[in-house]
Amino acid sequence: MSIILGKDDLAKYPFLEEAGNYIRETHFDLDEFNRSEFLHIIERASKRIEFELIQGKVFTDLEKYDIELFTFLVSLIIMKYINEDSAIKKFSLFEAMRVERFLVSDLSKEKDLTRKNLLISKVFRELFQLDVELDPKNNHLFKMNISDYLIRATSFNEEEWKLIGRAVDNGYVYLDGDETVRLIRYEIYKLMYNRIKNMNITKIPEQIKIHAGLIKNKLAPVIRYSHTTIDLPPCIKKALELLNKNENLPHSARFMLATYMLSSGKSVNDVILLFQNAPDYNEKITKYQVEHLAGKKGSQTKYSVPSCSKLVNENLCYATIDCRGITNPIQFGRKNRK
Amino acid sequence: MKKEITIKNNEFIFTLFKEYYFKNIENLKPPIEMQNREFGIMTFDSKVIRHLSFSKLGNLKAYIFQNVPSDIFCSNAYYQFPTFPINEKGWKGADMIFDIDLNDLLLPCQKEHTFYICSNCHVVFRDLTKICHECQNTKILKNTIPCFRCIRALKKETKNLTEFLKKDFGIKEENMEVSFSGNTGFHVVVFQNNYLMLDSKARSDIVGYVMGKNLSPESLGVRNDKQGYKIKIPLSGYSYGWRKRIIQKMKISEVSNDYLNKFIKKIGGYQSFKNEIDKIASDLGLRIDPQVTTDIHRIFRMVGSLNSKSGLSKIICNNLDQFDPMTDSCFFDDDINIDISLNTPLKFSIKGKKYHLDKSISTVPVSVAVYLISKKLANIASCSS
Repeated sequence: MSIILGKDDLAKYPFLEEAGNYIRETHFDLDEFNRSEFLHIIERASKRIEFELIQGKVFTDLEKYDIELFTFLVSLIIMKYINEDSAIKKFSLFEAMRVERFLVSDLSKEKDLTRKNLLISKVFRELFQLDVELDPKNNHLFKMNISDYLIRATSFNEEEWKLIGRAVDNGYVYLDGDETVRLIRYEIYKLMYNRIKNMNITKIPEQIKIHAGLIKNKLAPVIRYSHTTIDLPPCIKKALELLNKNENLPHSARFMLATYMLSSGKSVNDVILLFQNAPDYNEKITKYQVEHLAGKKGSQTKYSVPSCSKLVNENLCYATIDCRGITNPIQFGRKNRK
Repeated sequence: MKKEITIKNNEFIFTLFKEYYFKNIENLKPPIEMQNREFGIMTFDSKVIRHLSFSKLGNLKAYIFQNVPSDIFCSNAYYQFPTFPINEKGWKGADMIFDIDLNDLLLPCQKEHTFYICSNCHVVFRDLTKICHECQNTKILKNTIPCFRCIRALKKETKNLTEFLKKDFGIKEENMEVSFSGNTGFHVVVFQNNYLMLDSKARSDIVGYVMGKNLSPESLGVRNDKQGYKIKIPLSGYSYGWRKRIIQKMKISEVSNDYLNKFIKKIGGYQSFKNEIDKIASDLGLRIDPQVTTDIHRIFRMVGSLNSKSGLSKIICNNLDQFDPMTDSCFFDDDINIDISLNTPLKFSIKGKKYHLDKSISTVPVSVAVYLISKKLANIASCSS
């Protein structure tokens, strides 16, 4: 067996090649999951999925590596059996956030530089072809090529990710562990999603099917939005379309959608419902944020819908010929309605 | 009458451009991977022809001899199918390009040598106008004859840009090409592999960086707060990039919470600190044309071709300090004199010789005639040997 990383690492990062090799080398047969001694693994996997899909929380429990590796495998099989895109996306996002937590902690706390470098090599280079190096002057900092940074950071709209605010030198951007890991969240998410989607299992063990069926029954039905009564501007339609597909909307798109709906007379509760399909939906947080935008929390300021030019800058504009002459999505269709 | 003058001017310029390409065709520098570039030309009747492709320099030369364009352009992008419509070309990356133009430098001397010219009757105005007072035409051209101060400032800005690119972006000297645009600016082309695949949004972020736009106190660890402000020194410190520039310029010798706190208090709190950052970033930021750099499908003037706005050639500057655009990029022989009628009195230098023309008809060398006619500041009168 050729495990280069420690076993604890495999427990945290069960998607690494070494983890797959370990399972292969045990000559484990999937049918063995029907045996009672593996029931705790299936139950643990079910708990992990329910925690993430139903409670909307990151599952941070960490067991011994063999338990973790099999739990991860069963989780993927359950998700494959459930075969609902919205659920797979949500699970993938929460799993990405779980990995992110372990990785941030390992990169910031690990004192052994060889181990730290090995982790960087395994996760960033081998999995995502992202060349990240430890800063020789400061072992808590990581450096990556400016272009590698920009390819990822430009999908975030927050000002803090703009290159100008970063430590830049000689073709490199210097980041702390937290920032470095945040940059690859989407890639980890895609990795999880593709693992499930590309799984090819001829016969799923009965025990796993039973547990998967139970979870499936507990999942909230996917809400499909249709707005036929009023004309919606194309930017808002696009955001709703993405939510219908359970895509993860960027913060700026959520802001646009919520302020638009509030300004067009929808209640806070109606607006909260719109976000139920978001993979990272959390009712409490969504409620607070929508109430804040409606001027019912915090500074009591009611937020306006962002202007068309702001939306263009944020790549959220999908203007059509009907948008001619408007400067804010809220003006859309007013002429037609007069 | 006006139309006749335009035809006469065009014939004169066309003949000389044709002669230039016959004598100096070797000036044309083929771009890297020429077969993957889109070429475009402008004709003397102002038509733009795009989506051309030349796999060999010889083919391009033959096309130029045959068509004698007023301007020749080549894409910064590499395409799988350069002749296809833009969405079907198969984009394979693009050189990163920067344009430093006199108009963006806003120099105090610019008004002294900027002219507003009616595109119809060529009457010249010294002050900005939206309408021609002679013929009521609303298309007014703005032309500048750069003075030595302008050239000096342009060269300084270009040098600062190349330093920025080397120091912050790690771009190697051999992966960078600096050229005079042939009119009132300089171009810097970066063809370093790791930057070629960046999309428009990523390039826009680079533009913001180079121009010093939207640098926030938060990026230096200072956050606005109900009580005033909070300081949390970033783990990545102040040793690099803009953070270093700001700290050095503010003369903050020691970066610690206490020291920074004292400094911010002293200058008046968060907003004053922000204003100070804005001011420093605006002073140290470079003035480039953002649209050029963010465009990943641009056709850009080709090195060695003539610029129809001046009659000067776009030329590579291997030694920026020594480079004199009004001499080094002027390729017309001066063995013939030409009579031109001036639209306004002018003072300028070409090929090291100073001119002070205030007569309506002046006899000048070919290089001067081409320059002034291209700038729409003079018309051809007649030939004299």
